[in-house]
Amino acid sequence: MDAFGGPIWSMTASPSGSQLLIGCEDGSVKLFQITSDKIQFERNFDRQKSRILSLSWHPSGTHIAAGSIDYISVFDVKSGSATHKMIVDRRYMGVSKRKCIIWGVTFLSDGTVISVDSAGKVQFWDSATGTLVKSHLIANADVQSIAVSDQEDSFVVGTAEGTVFHFQLVSVTSNSNEKQWVRTKPFQHHTHDVRAVAHSPTALISGGTDTHLVIRPLMEKVEVKNYDAALRKITFPHRRLISCSKKRHLLLFQFAHHLELWRLGSTVATGKNGDILPLSKNADHLLQLKTKGPENIICSSISPCGSWIACSTASRFFLYRLSYERDSISLQRVPKMPAFLRSALQILFSEDSTKLFVASNQGSLHIIQLSEGCFKHLHTFQPQSETVEAMCLLAVSPDGNWLAASGTSAGVRIYGLKELKPHCTVPAYNFPVTALGIAPNTNNLVIAHSDQQVFEYSIPDKQYTEWSRAIQKQGFHHLWLQRDTPITHISFHPKRPMHILLHDAYMFCIIDKSLPLPNDKTLLYNPLSLTNESDVIRRRTAHAFKISKKYKPLLFMELLDERTLVAVERPLDDIIAQLPPPIKKKKFGT
Amino acid sequence: MVQLRPRASCTPAEADAMVDEGQPASEEVAEHGLLLGQPSSGAAAEPLEEDEEGDDESDDEAPEELTFASAQAEAREEERRVRETARRDKILLKEKRKRREELFIEQKKRKLLPDAVLEKLTTTSQTNIKKSPGKLKEGTTHRSNLSVDLQKKHEGHDKGSDSKKAGTQKVQPGSQNKSYVALRLKDQDLRDARQQAAKAFIQNSLYGPGTNRMTVNKFLSLANKRLPVKRAAAQFLNNTWGAQKKQNAKRFKRRWMFRKMKASGRVNGS
Repeated sequence: MDAFGGPIWSMTASPSGSQLLIGCEDGSVKLFQITSDKIQFERNFDRQKSRILSLSWHPSGTHIAAGSIDYISVFDVKSGSATHKMIVDRRYMGVSKRKCIIWGVTFLSDGTVISVDSAGKVQFWDSATGTLVKSHLIANADVQSIAVSDQEDSFVVGTAEGTVFHFQLVSVTSNSNEKQWVRTKPFQHHTHDVRAVAHSPTALISGGTDTHLVIRPLMEKVEVKNYDAALRKITFPHRRLISCSKKRHLLLFQFAHHLELWRLGSTVATGKNGDILPLSKNADHLLQLKTKGPENIICSSISPCGSWIACSTASRFFLYRLSYERDSISLQRVPKMPAFLRSALQILFSEDSTKLFVASNQGSLHIIQLSEGCFKHLHTFQPQSETVEAMCLLAVSPDGNWLAASGTSAGVRIYGLKELKPHCTVPAYNFPVTALGIAPNTNNLVIAHSDQQVFEYSIPDKQYTEWSRAIQKQGFHHLWLQRDTPITHISFHPKRPMHILLHDAYMFCIIDKSLPLPNDKTLLYNPLSLTNESDVIRRRTAHAFKISKKYKPLLFMELLDERTLVAVERPLDDIIAQLPPPIKKKKFGT
Repeated sequence: MVQLRPRASCTPAEADAMVDEGQPASEEVAEHGLLLGQPSSGAAAEPLEEDEEGDDESDDEAPEELTFASAQAEAREEERRVRETARRDKILLKEKRKRREELFIEQKKRKLLPDAVLEKLTTTSQTNIKKSPGKLKEGTTHRSNLSVDLQKKHEGHDKGSDSKKAGTQKVQPGSQNKSYVALRLKDQDLRDARQQAAKAFIQNSLYGPGTNRMTVNKFLSLANKRLPVKRAAAQFLNNTWGAQKKQNAKRFKRRWMFRKMKASGRVNGS
């Protein structure tokens, strides 16, 4: 719906959750009522001279603070009129030609308004009198974001230089009641602007233009020193963005607004282990599909035979049919896809490319039958009655009999495709599933969780396999459990049922179930020198986990056929080279 | 009105008189010469001379006599003629204007939609307004815009605009048996202008002049500068340097090759 105020710069919901305020380009603050089925315009507040860039409600819902360019206004919600207009200095104790932009405001329950602006200041204002109480100059560049904790005794700000500052309310002397705000900790984990920060009860979360999400636990709030207490820097997505058509050696890359289809190159040369062979035929960029409109692509997939491409955005579902003449390819869109397929969370084709499985964000699973250029809706598995949760991951068995679907909390559900009925459910685990895969002949479901546990469940027998029980009893190697990126893809070798291939962002691993499991004392990562040792030593130190860290950062790895593996790397420098410019920092010696 | 007598030109007659009379007219020549030398010597000189000449030639040529009555009559005639021409011009212009107006009305009528469609539009808009009394504030303002625009159309005000542009904010597809969405162009311009302003603002405030930003090349090369063995910048070559010179060189090379080919062709041919 159109708010008729121009581009919207800020939005905030009231503490009660029933009202919504938006700040617009033309300087107006508009109030909306949130009802169960729609959002309705209520009224406008007094119109200001310049655009409203930030908004904040008082916890009681009676006043709001709006930050604009060079001033902050405090409004009374009931009357809609501005009670105070606080003028902000353009520079800390000085004059400047550049206007001061108030990037963030926060209203505390004692009437203090905290503002952060483009001059690098954090200022505390008293909203009852409309005066400045305290001013801190913390950076030479803009301070762009602010977030307050629930108890209102600490807040975090992010600057354009990449620094994140923590402010805390501490008492002036150890036994006095008087408290004041003090800047306690600086953190420099980003290289570019920090545009958003959040304050959870135990951690500070910051994210910015350099594409990293950094979670910094506050050590005074952490009780147990475990996996959660470490600094976490998330760079790569935790889901699969690349799908592969094994028959035609095609890769489909999913970007935010377009899809790219590439054919892999080939070579006829041969060599020994470790050689890099020259390509006789280069990789070919076959197709680029752009979506219209501002929405991102949520998921996409290509069928194993290479004739179908499906992708889904928040409001539409696209299905394309590809046909290959000798050297060229032609694309045809299948029109009139049904509405229930929109905003699908996961799309998967069956191994013989006749069926399409779509997991929707309402919790239901749709099965579509594909034939020559048209489709037919076969069946929908409705969600279980208790919870409406989104189905996040799907896996189908290569013989086409079983479909496994995992949600966010309940266990992995397995459906039988021949009778179109639910088959069984894997017992729930308290960590979410990050990857699913079904082995070809044995129909064992391999599940990888976010705490680096790997389970193997036999679908026909409806129980965990022997190997899975053994490894759970022994426990994984401690280095395996300390990896910080989740496993995103599981695949299998068609002729070797004892092998499971997994990969995460920094390693790929082949688990050989016939070999003994490593205990905590053995080396997990096989050193390269082992290949030169004698056979006896190799057999003695061999264990089930064969890990290679040769290709990193790894986005995708899959077995194309029995002798070929394709791995897709995404170097971080390539991403950094495309980022917007950072603030100039003077370093000694340059 | 005074009418001046037409005067015969004096000089050629005097010349003849000079030639005829010959020598005895030498004093007269001198006299005449004086007179001739100063042909515009004054009106006073000429009447004397003319009187002499008039006496010389004949008595027929009496100065014309104009009575006041005849002069008045002439003047009146002139006036009437002028008035007549003016009136005729005015009438002509009037007729022209009338014809043009009619032509314009014809054209306008041709450009407007047939009455049947206009009728349909007005009736559906009336029903729509009646149907939705409880709409949002913005909704109602736009409905009133719609009715105003349709009125204007009836007056033939909105020249040269199709039905698509002229006023409907959104037409219910069921009631019209057509599926199209009509937008006002004025709204779109305002929206575009505001979007441009917003984009320019954010670009200027974060990356514009006055912000202390460094290029990505410099950022990636900072580490290289501080290594124990200093390395070059991440992007060392500037491929855009000397673009004009390179282009000129390419063109010259092409021309030179062509000339060479031609020359060698000629040598081979001959």
